[in-house]
Amino acid sequence: MEETTVIASSSFDCGIGSWDLKTGNEQLRFKQCASPSHGLTAVGEKFLAASQLRNASGSSGSVFFWFWNKPQVEVRSFPVESITALTANSEGTYIVGGGASGDIFIWEVATGKLLKKWHAHYVSVTCLVFSGDDSLLVSGSQDGSVRVWSLIRLFDDQQRQHQERTLYEHKFDEHTMAVNDIVIDYGGCNALIVSASKDQTCKVWSLSQGKLLRSIIFPSKINALALDPGGSVFYAGGGDGNIYIGALNSKSDYATQFLGSVSDPSKAITCLAYCADGNLLISGSEGGVICVWNPRSRQPVRSFTFGHGKGPVNNIQVVRKTIVGNANKAQSSWKRNVSSLPPPLEKYERKGDDTVDGIVIVDPPLSSDVPVYSSYRSADFINEQVKELEQQGSAATEIEMERLKLEYKKSILMNDQWQKNYENLLQVVMEEELNGGSN
Amino acid sequence: MVRSKAPGKKQQKKGIDFKKIKRKLGRKLPPPKNATNTEIKSQAIVLPEQSVGADKSGFATSKKGLTLDELLKQTSHHNAKVRKNALHGIKDLLEHNPAELQSLKYAIVDKLRERLSDDDKSVRDTFYLLFDSKIFPSCVEDNQGPMVSRLMPYIFKAMAESSVEVRLMAFKFFHLVVKHYPPTFSLYADKILENYKDIIQKNHFYVQDRSKLNVALSGLAHCLSLLPCDESDNESKKENEPLLAYEQDAANESARFAHVSRRLKEIVGVLINCFQDFIPLIHTPGGFDEKSFSCLHHILCSIGHAIKFSIRMHVQRKTMCLPAYEDDTLMLLDQDIAPLISKKLLGSFPLNPENNISGKVDERYFILNSVLTEIFLEVSDWSHLHTDLCNRFLVFIENTLLDKVTRSDRQRKPIPKPIHEKTLLALLPSIPKLILRMDSDWRENLLQAFTSTFNDCKPESPLTFACISVVRNVIIPNGDIHYLSESDSTVNNYLRVWVNKLPSLLNQLGDKHPLSSQAVLKLLLDLGRVGCLNASPTFEEDIKNFFNPCHQGEGDVPGGAFARLPREAQDLALAFLYYFTINNFSSPLLESIVSCCLNPQLEPAVLCRIVEVVHDAYSAGYIQITDHFSFLTTLVARFKVVQEEGQFSMECKEQETHRGTLKALAELVCLRLSKMGDGSLVLQILEKVLLEQINLKPWFDNGCAILRIICTLDSKPTSLSESSIATLSEYLPGYLIDIVKCIPEDKENSSLYIQTCLYYLIPCYFMFERSSKLTEEVLKRMQSIVSENTKALESVQDRESGRNSLNLIQCVVSVVLLMHNDVKVRKIISSSKSEIDLILQDVISLQSSGSTSLTVEGKHMMKMAGERLKIASNSLVR
Repeated sequence: MEETTVIASSSFDCGIGSWDLKTGNEQLRFKQCASPSHGLTAVGEKFLAASQLRNASGSSGSVFFWFWNKPQVEVRSFPVESITALTANSEGTYIVGGGASGDIFIWEVATGKLLKKWHAHYVSVTCLVFSGDDSLLVSGSQDGSVRVWSLIRLFDDQQRQHQERTLYEHKFDEHTMAVNDIVIDYGGCNALIVSASKDQTCKVWSLSQGKLLRSIIFPSKINALALDPGGSVFYAGGGDGNIYIGALNSKSDYATQFLGSVSDPSKAITCLAYCADGNLLISGSEGGVICVWNPRSRQPVRSFTFGHGKGPVNNIQVVRKTIVGNANKAQSSWKRNVSSLPPPLEKYERKGDDTVDGIVIVDPPLSSDVPVYSSYRSADFINEQVKELEQQGSAATEIEMERLKLEYKKSILMNDQWQKNYENLLQVVMEEELNGGSN
Repeated sequence: MVRSKAPGKKQQKKGIDFKKIKRKLGRKLPPPKNATNTEIKSQAIVLPEQSVGADKSGFATSKKGLTLDELLKQTSHHNAKVRKNALHGIKDLLEHNPAELQSLKYAIVDKLRERLSDDDKSVRDTFYLLFDSKIFPSCVEDNQGPMVSRLMPYIFKAMAESSVEVRLMAFKFFHLVVKHYPPTFSLYADKILENYKDIIQKNHFYVQDRSKLNVALSGLAHCLSLLPCDESDNESKKENEPLLAYEQDAANESARFAHVSRRLKEIVGVLINCFQDFIPLIHTPGGFDEKSFSCLHHILCSIGHAIKFSIRMHVQRKTMCLPAYEDDTLMLLDQDIAPLISKKLLGSFPLNPENNISGKVDERYFILNSVLTEIFLEVSDWSHLHTDLCNRFLVFIENTLLDKVTRSDRQRKPIPKPIHEKTLLALLPSIPKLILRMDSDWRENLLQAFTSTFNDCKPESPLTFACISVVRNVIIPNGDIHYLSESDSTVNNYLRVWVNKLPSLLNQLGDKHPLSSQAVLKLLLDLGRVGCLNASPTFEEDIKNFFNPCHQGEGDVPGGAFARLPREAQDLALAFLYYFTINNFSSPLLESIVSCCLNPQLEPAVLCRIVEVVHDAYSAGYIQITDHFSFLTTLVARFKVVQEEGQFSMECKEQETHRGTLKALAELVCLRLSKMGDGSLVLQILEKVLLEQINLKPWFDNGCAILRIICTLDSKPTSLSESSIATLSEYLPGYLIDIVKCIPEDKENSSLYIQTCLYYLIPCYFMFERSSKLTEEVLKRMQSIVSENTKALESVQDRESGRNSLNLIQCVVSVVLLMHNDVKVRKIISSSKSEIDLILQDVISLQSSGSTSLTVEGKHMMKMAGERLKIASNSLVR
């Protein structure tokens, strides 16, 4: 059984609210959270992570983790600088954070290790998005640039030194002001990227060609984007409180259609999310209202208020969780998880212990019919298999040879037998014929 | 036949009864029934007429009275003179009947093309002239492809003719075709290049007569210039093709030329040999003549184009990983051609005459040297040339940038400006590469030289744009910003000088050169985005001037160009402004932005954008809250609306009067202010400033905007102080009377006017609701106005002032009535019924006073007012 949950956070200290999308019931409220825009993410199905605004004055930033069933902050980690954008890959094995200085950090969730840190932008990172297959990372920055990074190439130091190429795959510089949001469609390596900016435009980029395809001008600055699963239109939340509909393939430079606006036009739309299950668009506004829309009929379906309408909502995410039917099982898995509390994210890259293979621990989904095993160690497992094959290779072939020889002998015997039978039969038939003829 | 005649006869006989028919028996038998009809019928046979007197009316004719048909026939006459005259005739005919050509184009071309290889020179020349002057120019609009394909076989035939003259004419004619229809070359590239190679190779036939060689060379140079050398020309076409669609297998221009590489190599070899033949001539004391110069120029240009194309193909293949063909290796890496280019061609640089000669010849040498330098710049990327040779070229480049004549004889005239500029335009794009590549000595020299060029160029010359792109490419080579991060401090110094010059350049450019302005703004924006602008004071001053539409001091100087630039440039400028304020904000800058906003020329959309940008900078924490407050309030208080005497000017004049803009602006400002924090706190801060503005008695449009701001920030029991309420009650009566004055009497009840009125009245209503004291005060004041004027009317005899007072009373009554009309406000004012009663008394007393100054009309007005007021007052419930 699956459950669709909406989580939302604010830049004020209102915690993280969560609602069941189908019923509209408010669920647990996680405490102590004031995150920047794009600073909230669900890490797989395991827990929630949000970077914090509170320590903006201090030199270091902070990222907090919450478990789904506990409102208190479970783990606190303090990266070197304040994290302005945070995201995780769909399986929840890595967390990526963008810093105020333009650096991007990649942490491994299982060990908390800082795998890589690199200078991505000149000024602070505003949003980070993984591509559909988690192989590419797209980052947008305060300076208006959008860059595409390949996670594989980032770690391939050898090839980079060899080819003297830049770290990024593509860079798109045509926005004149800060990039507010980025979405990427499902085209794999041929995907289209849509970016929204303060300069009142949305731009469509081709990932394969690495160039600008369209630039669509909106009546106000665009704070948030959501892609329609049909892939031909996208929704853009404007600073004037309207949700606009932009066509990817539009011929004109201007977007005029709009879906609707929140009740108070002075409150800007700050975030959008699309839920493919049930085709719903969810918008959050500066006035603290989370509104669920039916994009087909362009009507609001229901709305939640967040933080007593005080704080602006600035993050919304739709999370699909698997609910384990058996309560006991859930209990047991929970207990196990407690023992493996995720370690806090490290501050610095570790040098020297590169020889150890990175071991990725992937928790299987907690669905009831899959035999539950805690983790498998992919690299080790394959290594063992290879070794086994190498050692046992010669013995196995010998046995096989023996078996084949035996079989061969058997068949030859059989063949002789059949031949004998045939000859006998022939004899009989011949005799019969001869006798008949004489008769 | 027979049968058919019989009934006819019978009919004739009707009427006459017994007419005797005479039949001569035996003389003639009627034809038998099965007889064959031997009668022959035919339509008129028209024999061809040759007589002079034949009718030619309706046909187009030449001067000599010949039709096109006849002329075409005569073009293949055996006598050369007749042929020539026929061609002249055709030209003449087409001149007077252009429509003839449109309809019979292909027929004419089909017949005429045979003349290309005519034996007689004069016929060929006439043929060429005919196509040049008539046929090609008139076919510009329609598709020339079919016509060219009809001509090409004959051109190729003529190119292979044994007679040199005919061949040359074929080349000359082909050049004409290419000029009018450039795709011809790409369609037949291989064959054409082969032909050119042949004819240039055999140059010893006519080495004496340079003009003949020139014919072939000029055509070749033109053809090679059509080779696609830039990525950009391909890219631009692809714009706006549908996304998510299958890609079209468009015939790619460059793919068409994929197989000419080998041919080009041969041609370059031949051309270099040809160049060698000219070398002795170059070093002769007298220099060379016009024709030889033209030959040499064409040779060098052709080589340059061929090399550029070859490099481009090479790069394209490398980036797209296409399979390389055997004969497709880069020309400069080819073992046969490479030494030829580096030794024989570039090695001969610089071309200098032996003796001093006139300026004209000097120019020619300069042009040739500059073309050689262009080739050098292309080649030097790919192959290593001798240092000595490189230095010679670099000296030339440096001198050109510095605008020094190559050989420093003082009596020489300088190179004329247009030629120099053209050379610079060709050389400038390679400067960034050169600067980044050279060792420190040369780098310094080049930087120095370029700086002087950059400083010298005038805003109107195309050099400015080229220089800006050089600056851009040095600072941002392939997308990564190299500004002040370079270890070399000298480079940094130069870069800083260039960047500091940009704003003043922006002001010099004004609004006449939007492309250059846009380039400068883009560069500034890119620098601003990464926070690389540590501006000097002059830099800031220039930026301020750019935005400020009016200069202090000299009255005549036009202000900053910002308001007059096209929208794209304005958007760039605003984005730059945002990043600039982030890095170095100062209140003088804000002042100049305010005066920019108040400029009536500015489009409303841009105005809104400016407010947005400034607000963004504020909310990012780069503008102080006090500065931002004063920015917003100043805008609202100072924005000028064009005043029309006493009218709302409803009838679609909102644009002219900027009234709509002010409304939008007020709304925007209210919105921004309400977002800035708790309303009552913001009001506390702003109260003093806003009421000072009110005290100045602004025009009611601005007044309304200020009142709206107060209303937005205020809450139900008002938080305004006593003194503020006093100020407001001073202002409001006049304000209300002003509004009422704007309603023309006859349209008092039209809904449009009532709505507009409401826009202005609503802030007052809100205030009345929030503070009963204010209501009381305002009504009291209005009452006192009425009583004062009543007194004045009784005493004053002057007619003019009498009418004024009367109008004023009338207006006050209207205000009261308007308020009374609104249900909610009626409740509010009912608490001060006494004041209204007082007004009523005054009006009634005036009406009955019988004062001399009151006209009949005035009395009537007062009577009406009094009655209406009475009704209103009675309906007010205590």
